[in-house]
Amino acid sequence: MRGSAAYNRIVGYVLALGLTAVITAALFVIRDILDTTLIALLLLIPVGISTSTWGLGAGITAALSAFLEFNYLFIQPYHTFAVHRPGDLVILLVFLIVAVVISQLVGRAKAGVEAATARERETTQLYELSTGLAGLHDSGQITRILGEQLFMAFPCEHLEITLSDPDSVAARLPPGTPRPSRPPELVVPMPAVRGVIGEIQSWRTLPVMSSAEKRLVRTFASQGALALERAALAQAESRARLLEESDRFKSSLLSSVSHDLRTPLATIKAAASSLRSGEIGWESPARAELLAAIDDEADHLNMLVGNLLDMSRIESGALHPQRTWNVLAEIVQSVLARMRHLSEGHRLVIDIPEDLPLVPVDFVLMGQVFTNLLSNSLRFAPPDTPVRVRAKARDDATVLIEVSNQGPPVPTEHLQGIFDKFYRMTAADRVTGTGLGLSICKGVIEAHGGTIWAENRPDGFAFNFTLPLRMDGMPQPELPAAHEAP
Amino acid sequence: MNAPHILVIDDEPQILRALRTILTEKGFQVSAANRGKEGLTLAAASAPDLIILDLGLPDMDGIEVCARLREWTQVPIIILSVRETEREKVAALDKGADDYLTKPFGIEELLARVRVALRHAKPGRDDQTSAVKAGKLVIDLAWHTVTRDGKPVKLTATEFNLLAYLVSNRGRILTHQSILTHVWSPADADHTEYLRVYIGQLRKKLEPNPDEPQHIITEPGIGYRFITEAQDDRAGPG
Repeated sequence: MRGSAAYNRIVGYVLALGLTAVITAALFVIRDILDTTLIALLLLIPVGISTSTWGLGAGITAALSAFLEFNYLFIQPYHTFAVHRPGDLVILLVFLIVAVVISQLVGRAKAGVEAATARERETTQLYELSTGLAGLHDSGQITRILGEQLFMAFPCEHLEITLSDPDSVAARLPPGTPRPSRPPELVVPMPAVRGVIGEIQSWRTLPVMSSAEKRLVRTFASQGALALERAALAQAESRARLLEESDRFKSSLLSSVSHDLRTPLATIKAAASSLRSGEIGWESPARAELLAAIDDEADHLNMLVGNLLDMSRIESGALHPQRTWNVLAEIVQSVLARMRHLSEGHRLVIDIPEDLPLVPVDFVLMGQVFTNLLSNSLRFAPPDTPVRVRAKARDDATVLIEVSNQGPPVPTEHLQGIFDKFYRMTAADRVTGTGLGLSICKGVIEAHGGTIWAENRPDGFAFNFTLPLRMDGMPQPELPAAHEAP
Repeated sequence: MNAPHILVIDDEPQILRALRTILTEKGFQVSAANRGKEGLTLAAASAPDLIILDLGLPDMDGIEVCARLREWTQVPIIILSVRETEREKVAALDKGADDYLTKPFGIEELLARVRVALRHAKPGRDDQTSAVKAGKLVIDLAWHTVTRDGKPVKLTATEFNLLAYLVSNRGRILTHQSILTHVWSPADADHTEYLRVYIGQLRKKLEPNPDEPQHIITEPGIGYRFITEAQDDRAGPG
């Protein structure tokens, strides 16, 4: 690799001369039994070999030396370059022409094969580059792949890819080497539709870059620029989609807020104003009824506002569960303590095995999940039917929890959708509330690394969800002195 | 006996109006401040028996108000906050606040907390005797014994230490961190799992129905509270 082309060429010439000399010597030994024309024919052999092995120059050298040696040794008068017989002159001339033509033809064919091989290699390299870049949407990855492929196809001392937006060195090869102090030997801009987005700088003195190599680097540069541009466009598109989605969220939020928040407000307003009007007797049962309505609807309103806040935290990605090791039964029990007045008229059956391992969850957020699932279940369970919470370890890394009721089934096509924001099956349907409770559950469960789904059962309807029993890959920690003496 | 004096520090006029009306009605003497600095001045000038402090004040962080008050007074402080601020609640409790209430709250709840806090503040309160009664439980802190329905209950050393800490602060909310620091060690302050497991064991041994605890109450995201009797924590200044 290090030897220059000129050096290779000189070696070729010397070898061609040597080969011709060896064959001439051999022919000289047996010259008595050979005809002059046959010798001329045989001397074409080193010419052909030299051309095909060491190139056109070596071939021509071989042809000329064979011509001279043939004249000197085999054409009378021997040992001179003079030619006496006209026939010999013809033989000599024909030999020279044939030798040169052969070496040219063979040489050209060989150069053609070399060019074809080079083109094929180039095509393969480009193909590998474009497969490597396909489907990448991250500019860091794109420049890394581009740099690696370029460095393989185009070996050099040092290679840098710099981007103009942001202005930074995006790739540096070989990794960890410092940038040479001299200016780069080759600088190729990366052209994209919106202008030059960066450049490739390469340091290499020897061997001198061929024009084919420069062309290859330029092709790589434009391929890389295209990929970077595509990534930028894809990013812009997903940002736009996000904005559009949050816009849609906001408008459905507004319509939902105006409807759902006003309902409890209307009740409160009506009850409070009728109490103030003085038309309701101090002792009348209606009075207690109205006061209870105000109290309940205020709680309902508070829950709606809480849900809206939770949803916006989930939407904005600001939901970071504070996961600690908790007893699942304690979470459920603390929710039930707060929901007791809601669950009147239903039986709540809690079935959580005592030996269930601790679960790594955010106590408050998981409480929200149970509150929402239970209040949904209680709303649709027929009176005096049980609502069940059941948990079991599915394996040593996952716990499966179900909240089931004997309410009516949900049409199959809605089973997935009920976890979407503001999803309502039909306008007059069973759902009240902002339609946010279940999507909050989904957001919280997924933030914990679990999944949630709904299913119809022969005896009713169930929410199921899983939670990991591991935190950062680790199971519940050992507890100190679990069996200490009383 | 003089009516207890309550200072309310909250910037929302509606809350101030409602609290003033209700607390006055219940026989308390009420003064109000709508800024943190004003609250600190009033607290120094009027020496209230109890302070109700909102965490979201426009001029100062409620946690800081709490810390400043604790530099010179042990007056009971009840924090008012909204649901989304568990961490701030915990911070305020660790800075010396005695209790918290989440807005919106029922007035019964507020009055119960006020009563507990006032009782705690009284010097020589009812822990003259070392035995504490809670429903069918009798916990004797000096003799390290616990009986349920008159029958002794066997507790491990850690279980008893935990119970003793809860009981000697009965009615008050204790943060996870403060329990872990006191019962275990400051190095264990983050091991809430110890607490969860030991609380479960205590409930199994002490509560009439461990699934619906009457005495050892979970405060989600904050800590635990020991209450002796449900009706014990109700009503006015008494």
